Amino acid sequence: MMPQSLLQLASQKCTTGCPILDRLLGGGIPCDSVTEIVAESGSGKTQICLQLSLHAQLPVSRGGLAASSLYLHTEFPFPFRRLHQLCLSFRSSNARHFPINDNPCDRIFVQSVHSADHLLEIMSKTEPFIENSITQVPVRLIVIDSIAAVFRSEFDNTPVELKRRSSLFFKISSKLKALAKRFNLAVLVTNQVVDLMGPNEGINGLRIGNLGCLYTSGRRVSPALGLAWANCVNSRLFLSRNEEVIGEENEKSNGDFVFKKTRRKLYVVYAPHLPDSSCEFEITREGLFGVER
Amino acid sequence: MEIWRLPISASQRGKLISAGYTSLSSLSSLSPSELARELKVSETEAMDILKAASHSRGAETSNASCSILEGAQSAWDMLHDEESLMHITTSSADLDNILGGGIHCKEVTEIGGVPGIGKTQLGMQIAVNVQIPHDFGGLGGKAIYIDTEGSFMVGRAFQIAEACIEDMSEYNRFLRKDFQECKINMKPEDILENVFYFRICSYTEQIALINYLDKFISEHKDVKVVVVDSVTFHFRQDFDDMALRTRVLSGMALKLMNLTKKFSLAVVLLNQATIKHTEAPFN
Repeated sequence: MMPQSLLQLASQKCTTGCPILDRLLGGGIPCDSVTEIVAESGSGKTQICLQLSLHAQLPVSRGGLAASSLYLHTEFPFPFRRLHQLCLSFRSSNARHFPINDNPCDRIFVQSVHSADHLLEIMSKTEPFIENSITQVPVRLIVIDSIAAVFRSEFDNTPVELKRRSSLFFKISSKLKALAKRFNLAVLVTNQVVDLMGPNEGINGLRIGNLGCLYTSGRRVSPALGLAWANCVNSRLFLSRNEEVIGEENEKSNGDFVFKKTRRKLYVVYAPHLPDSSCEFEITREGLFGVER
Repeated sequence: MEIWRLPISASQRGKLISAGYTSLSSLSSLSPSELARELKVSETEAMDILKAASHSRGAETSNASCSILEGAQSAWDMLHDEESLMHITTSSADLDNILGGGIHCKEVTEIGGVPGIGKTQLGMQIAVNVQIPHDFGGLGGKAIYIDTEGSFMVGRAFQIAEACIEDMSEYNRFLRKDFQECKINMKPEDILENVFYFRICSYTEQIALINYLDKFISEHKDVKVVVVDSVTFHFRQDFDDMALRTRVLSGMALKLMNLTKKFSLAVVLLNQATIKHTEAPFN
């Protein structure tokens, strides 16, 4: 058993495609690490996942991983149309690396997941799959969208079931981290939120990470799957969305119309290599990009 | 020289031991009347015992720590030892105060908390701070970092190392009165090189590594701290036999404690937090 030399430890990161987001994340999503994105539906989790799956194919000199990605999705249907749209703009801005008949979508392997046991099964099949891919374009990114959907329906709310659920978290996380270490993969997991009733801070009055409380759409929320899952991920990011009123139309019709704008923010809840920070972003046809204000 | 070797009668010896006098040094500051009262013997008897004790002590070299059991130490000696041990600073004065000076050597310290509270940061800081040279009040030792979760980020450790070196230069500037070029020769790369980093991915690897540490540290005697981040991650999966898990965990803890005593180093265990489910009444 030999210690690894820290100076040679590769700390590669996969770019998100936006320099502002990359700066916030210290270069992008790190390899050999599990990053979690928490948000309510419609905040942009899937957008980031798709965007990352495309940008992972960029060469290392451009911040990518020169790799294909494995996309495990639990919510149906898989957004093929949006992926295609993103792909078109991705190709046009990176035409140099993708010749005419080369479709980046070919290098995103999609697999649907139905249950926790199915996920474990897939994990055991993933190792030989990644090994085989090393000769062509190796798989260096695994996306699970979303992990919450796998667990939320199967388990009753009894202590015995919750305990069983917790040990499943650690089993899955352990397998993911072992894969991440062995093949130097970046793992991105998305999670949903649950509404928070009760004491002021976090889950059961427990504050986790930089933010005392997570707010989105004017509601106080907390990431799903509880404290046990929070122990299983290395970094956690939170996307929030808020409708802001920026103007009112007050003509003859008594101010029936208000102009609203959706403000979206990305927060670092906790990460071993990132300080407490946040930035605003917007979602356009071309993808998800940070904005400087 | 042990009490049992004293030329006194067996009953006197028995009384001495049951009164708590197990070494000659414990008899040194007693007067005959005090000893007589303690042992419930006559003053002349007490005087004889003390005379015999001072005789034997005179014949012995002063270095021998006399005790009735081989390897036992008097509490006074232990206090003296403890005070002379160095501590590893955590870089936070308040935290150091709570810990009584810093992380103690010859002890296992456990740091637990929820995710995102700073356990890994503290672990990295300790692995860097143990390398502070003697001139600056540190141990000047190396560190072993056992990463079970993959949370160690080299970039962040580099930042911490840089800051530590800057700190030392500041200290230099303030305290050294001479006008020489007080440059610190350490570079962040040197600090990172002195951290032996092990990444383990299963509980069997963890057990194997902890067993191997004895041999590793014998070959690298300048290791002064072992950080395990986090010690229970791999044990939170489904263990069919919970008794086995308890046995394994206690065995590991015992080995680590033996390591601290044997090599005079500190062990820092980082642990996770879990929610305790209690039966709550429905009112």
